[in-house]
Amino acid sequence: MSRTFKDKLSSNDFLITAEVSPPKGTDLIDVLSDAELIRGWVDALNVTDNQKAIMRMSPLAVSKSLLDSGHEVIMQLTCRDRNRLALQSDLLGAYSMGIRNICIMTGDHTTKGDHPKARPVYDLDSVQLLKIVRKMQEGFDLAGNVIENPPQFVVGAVTNTDPSKKAQMMKLRKKVKTGINFMQTQAVYDISMFESFMESIGDIEVPIIAGVIPLRSANMARFMNGNIPGINVPDEIIERMESAEKPKDEGMDICAETIKELKKLCRGIHLMPIGKHNNTPTILEMADIRKKQ
Amino acid sequence: MIISSAKPFEEILEMLKNEDDIFVVGCNACAAKIHVGGEPEVLEMCKRLEDAGKHVVGWVIPSAACSVASFDSLVEKNPAIKDAKTILVMACGSGVSIVAGVVDVPVYPSNDTVSLGGRTQGEVVPELCAMCGECKIHYFGSVCPKSLCPKHLLNGPCGGSVNGKCEIDPEKDCAWELICNRLEKIGRLDLLDITWDAEETTEDSV
Repeated sequence: MSRTFKDKLSSNDFLITAEVSPPKGTDLIDVLSDAELIRGWVDALNVTDNQKAIMRMSPLAVSKSLLDSGHEVIMQLTCRDRNRLALQSDLLGAYSMGIRNICIMTGDHTTKGDHPKARPVYDLDSVQLLKIVRKMQEGFDLAGNVIENPPQFVVGAVTNTDPSKKAQMMKLRKKVKTGINFMQTQAVYDISMFESFMESIGDIEVPIIAGVIPLRSANMARFMNGNIPGINVPDEIIERMESAEKPKDEGMDICAETIKELKKLCRGIHLMPIGKHNNTPTILEMADIRKKQ
Repeated sequence: MIISSAKPFEEILEMLKNEDDIFVVGCNACAAKIHVGGEPEVLEMCKRLEDAGKHVVGWVIPSAACSVASFDSLVEKNPAIKDAKTILVMACGSGVSIVAGVVDVPVYPSNDTVSLGGRTQGEVVPELCAMCGECKIHYFGSVCPKSLCPKHLLNGPCGGSVNGKCEIDPEKDCAWELICNRLEKIGRLDLLDITWDAEETTEDSV
């Protein structure tokens, strides 16, 4: 029987997860073919939840469909669109459909998305929801009512990686205290900052899975520096992208080099390409961390 | 104080397009302090309505539009209100509701009510209190995350703030930046370590 994401988390494996986005529409063919590109290359597919507050198909439906196609999934769940009733009921639904891994986050604000007048919910914050998941696993809902056949999820949370941000680091510790099983980070480009980040949480045993996004151009790097919170692409990387003849290839090179460095520092990587996963296998081969299984 | 902002005059005219014989009610409390319902604004409103062809039957400025005892108490201040077919209230939403509760004609708002805030050093400061009914502001350096943070986060900032500014508005300070600065200033950074659980009423706590 093949090993689950949970088994691998408690092994010494270097883990690879990859982000897939639900469609804006009812046809699953694109997301299934994207997942097919990386079958055997990654340990789990991470399904986003109305990412960037842009309305798409429910991650519950996409996760179920990926499970049916034989993939291991991590379902993301944000606090933005559902109150405590809906969050708990979706968690029960997810477990009953076979989803075993979840990743909890606050979620980008509605005003950043394509329905800026949507009422943002945020009935719970990510720390509170993580604690409720723990309570549900012990057999009780938030109100203390008994849950029959309680779910047993592998629970992940997310963090930025700037160790100088006191409040963010404090929140990371609160998340760890809820008993999470893994922590996924924002995309890493600045290895020396990530090294200090890992040092600053040296006492924490939760596996850290570092985010990576292959660059496509120097402009994309500049855009992310100015617009995506928690991302810091160092100048020397922007210069490399600027002077490259084939920026996309250079971006893949940089990504593979980053992954090689990250392998020395943390438990895994989380690949979030812009667009599809066509280049993901190549990057993983270049980084020398995986051959097709 | 309740922070309101004046609707554009064109919007007010559009609201009142089928109305006439207007009586204007100001407010000598919050709305006067932030200049959207005091005497100068009420007089200016009457003039502009007249200039736009409307008949203004009169005006009054109660000490607070949200604290009006009865129709008679308004009549006492200005009997012309008896001739009004429409009332325009230059106050917050509470003022509009209270006035509407004592009159029998349609009542319109001239302001958009924004939040519970204040005014200091000559500046209006919105969103200081979410009126949640369970004040724990002292744990947050007396900066309320339920009100100032658009995600109402009690356990620390989201990952969306950039250089200490809010994810949804780069002009606005991140509430958690303000909370941390304030706690550092008063030597209580230890308060950041408290985990705030979601509370739910259970049989035990009823």
